[in-house]
Amino acid sequence: MVDLIKRAKELIETSAVRVVIGYEQGIGNKTRALFVEKAEDAGKLIFDSRCVQNLAVYITKKEIKEKGKMAIAATLPVMRSIIQLASEFQVNDNNLLVLGITAESKLIEFANLVEVETFVHQYQIEIDARNKEMLDKLGKMTQAERWKFWIDELAPCFKCYACRAACPMCYCHRCTVDFNQPQWIPVPSHELGNLEWHIMRAMHLTGRCIDCDACYNACPLSIPINLLTKKMLEDAKEHFGGYQPSLKGDHLMSTYKPDDKENFIH
Amino acid sequence: MSKIGVFVCHCGENISSTVDCEKVAATVGKYDGVAFSVDYKYMCSDPGQSIIKNAIAEKGLTGVVVAACSPRMHEPTFRKVCAEAGLNPYMCEMANLREHCSWVHEKGEATTEKAIDLVRILVEKVKYNQSLNSIKVPVTKTALVIGGGIAGIQASLDIANTGHKVILIEKDPSIGGHMSQLSETFPTLDCSQCILTPRMVEVAQHPNITLYTYAELESLEGFIGNFKAKIRKKSKSLDEKLCTGCGLCTTKCPTKKIPSEFNEGLGNRTAIYVPFPQAVPNKPVIDRIHCTYYTKGKCKICEKVCPTGAIRFDQEDQIVEVEVGAIVVATGFAVKRPDFFPEYGYGKYADVITGLQFERLASASGPTLGEIRRPSDGKIPEKIVFLACAGSRDPAKGIPYCSKICCMYIAKHAMLYQHKVHSGKSYVFYMDIRAGGKMYEEFVRRAIEDDGVNYIRGRVSKIYEKNGKLIVSGVDTLLNAMPVEIEADMVVLATAGVANEGAEELAQKLHISYDPYKFFAEAHPKLKPVETNTGGIFLAGSCQAPRDIPESVAMASGAAVKVAGLFSQDELTREPIIAVVNRQAAPVYSSCVGCFLCVSACPYQAIEKEEIKNRTGDLIKSIAKVNPGLCQGCGTCVAFCRTKSIDIQGYTHEQMYSEVMALLNEY
Repeated sequence: MVDLIKRAKELIETSAVRVVIGYEQGIGNKTRALFVEKAEDAGKLIFDSRCVQNLAVYITKKEIKEKGKMAIAATLPVMRSIIQLASEFQVNDNNLLVLGITAESKLIEFANLVEVETFVHQYQIEIDARNKEMLDKLGKMTQAERWKFWIDELAPCFKCYACRAACPMCYCHRCTVDFNQPQWIPVPSHELGNLEWHIMRAMHLTGRCIDCDACYNACPLSIPINLLTKKMLEDAKEHFGGYQPSLKGDHLMSTYKPDDKENFIH
Repeated sequence: MSKIGVFVCHCGENISSTVDCEKVAATVGKYDGVAFSVDYKYMCSDPGQSIIKNAIAEKGLTGVVVAACSPRMHEPTFRKVCAEAGLNPYMCEMANLREHCSWVHEKGEATTEKAIDLVRILVEKVKYNQSLNSIKVPVTKTALVIGGGIAGIQASLDIANTGHKVILIEKDPSIGGHMSQLSETFPTLDCSQCILTPRMVEVAQHPNITLYTYAELESLEGFIGNFKAKIRKKSKSLDEKLCTGCGLCTTKCPTKKIPSEFNEGLGNRTAIYVPFPQAVPNKPVIDRIHCTYYTKGKCKICEKVCPTGAIRFDQEDQIVEVEVGAIVVATGFAVKRPDFFPEYGYGKYADVITGLQFERLASASGPTLGEIRRPSDGKIPEKIVFLACAGSRDPAKGIPYCSKICCMYIAKHAMLYQHKVHSGKSYVFYMDIRAGGKMYEEFVRRAIEDDGVNYIRGRVSKIYEKNGKLIVSGVDTLLNAMPVEIEADMVVLATAGVANEGAEELAQKLHISYDPYKFFAEAHPKLKPVETNTGGIFLAGSCQAPRDIPESVAMASGAAVKVAGLFSQDELTREPIIAVVNRQAAPVYSSCVGCFLCVSACPYQAIEKEEIKNRTGDLIKSIAKVNPGLCQGCGTCVAFCRTKSIDIQGYTHEQMYSEVMALLNEY
């Protein structure tokens, strides 16, 4: 990633941006996020197949935003997240520069988010074969079997909220679970509490999730919670024709149309 | 600590016949926070209201639950009682023990238990109620009337005569609507044009009415008292100020063979045309679809002959923005057209026509100057058959309803025919004769008894042509379903009255409801026949259901009174049941994160961006803000808000939660 290091250095040196977000070598064989604020730190930037964390999660953070204009090394899922975040007014061209990394590990610097969107729209969001197989298996289960599957899978969850912390779409300052007057979602990690939290999470991500698997990768117990969002992705496709994050902001699940087939509002 | 009063109503025996009201009052009286609980035969009566008022004063109640009928019925009554006793009206809630309990269940323990549950959830809710104040909004005292038929004309004149401004828009080049096409009108046989045209002229000359013909509603924003409408004035290709209406252009236009809409295709018009001689305004428009200049780029004869140089080929559609306080929708109806009746050969046989076409044949201003001549060869028909219920009352055709006006106009048609063709024979096939109305039955009897129209009770299965005659094949159900065949020279179908093309689209623009047949829906079938569910928008005439002239006019006057009533106030009072985005102390300001997904979810465009700035004017945060004038309190945004930053006043998260928990918890 010589190109990336060189460009990051230039951006910082010329004060074009205040911070470059990328990956660095972490503990053991892991990678972690790096925030380059000084030109000399640019050399620490790396990029390889281990870099799967969705860095878009940082661009909505107050601490990072306050530094000034950001640049971000963005893979396809990160770019998708950025477009979705832009459609939700969380980032814009004034505060973000996207240094795209293609599937062939080539660096493309985008002039603006419209270019990022054009790039992103070349590729459909597709569920990988292994998870697709799992979804089909779940689909074939009886309701009781599926219920048991999820109760068992969710039982060990102790609500560390790593899934929430890793998800770029979970940028709310006050999450629904932190809303306690009244406490709609029970806090304890008992059966009901876990179930409600994960269902609520999947519902809030429907039409917004770009299927990056950050939640699953972050889960210390490897609970396949991404199957819930993947299922919603499938349902969104089946019932509403699917979606791509877009700057136009025609949000799949939350756009009123006069010809909506539900007629409660007519 | 709450001091809640519970008032259980027997509603005569409506509730008490299946619910043990005394037990409800006694049980609820023991709950935490309930300071007073009583049952009474008629809580809405004067003595009943006094019980509530006295309890508020004596017990110092902080909240009231009236367990009675639907809040739709009496919530305003009881809220007013509370207000009169000094309690904020929004501290009063109603438990519906009638529609939701006593009327739908048998007498028994379980019914009373359910009644107790219904009261308990509201007791718990009221604990979280907060005092609310009604919202005041100003009123723009100008009305928009959409549609210039008799209903729109009447509504415009009535509103204008109360001293308020009216903007009347009509999609066709002239006002007048269907009524201007009619020959005579039932049951008096007075000439339609003779009674209508003076009204049309009055509209044109009224100082309070602004008339836009050839214009349609482009979009509508806003709410009762404060609508903003965009009107598309379609290009007439004419400078109306210069045009004197001399009509020279229409006589010289070389494109003369365009079927005339006004004559229902039985006559022709030119490309630059005035729909009919009495049109208001009596100035032509160019039909760009047929005009040789627009289709082939050459001609401009009208421009050459126009003595005042009024033709404007390059004129574009104009969008006029107007602010209005109320809207009367009077867009009328349509009749079913060809292809809908293949069994009757409509569209195949020139001499099978619709009732509206017959009106044109019988009209003195029509293509035959009032002589009944059949379209195919211009001969005077010796035998004529009228078919009632062509499409109407036919579930197989998707029109199960009665079009209402046909029985009467068929009697009129047959009568007019007999008056004009003395030797002719006329037959009417009918299912039932529906002649409810002043002088209506007498009118039909006159057709049968004095004018000798042959009424045959039965339906026609098909019409086919044989030796130049139309063979009408049906049955007479009064003669034991005996087959009847009539060799007719002409057949008139009383085709079903249906919603106008584009009615659904217009309803969606206006945010008003419509029924499965796309007729606009009134707010209440009996008690609010001219109101819609959208405040400030009223209905008149056949856009609501097929209507005859007296009914359309009555509706229009009714709608006009509603508008005048609205305009009699300088400010409107609205219920404060609206969505509110929370605001908190700095540095949070609001839990709203500014994703604005609520903006696209809102059906009423009621949510805007609000920028929170510091003292030096720097932007701190953008959050959602609900416009209290536009919000209808539907709650869609509340459901979509991930951070739960929006509450509906009077239905807050805390109130809803307490209701749910009151049901789930053991008592």
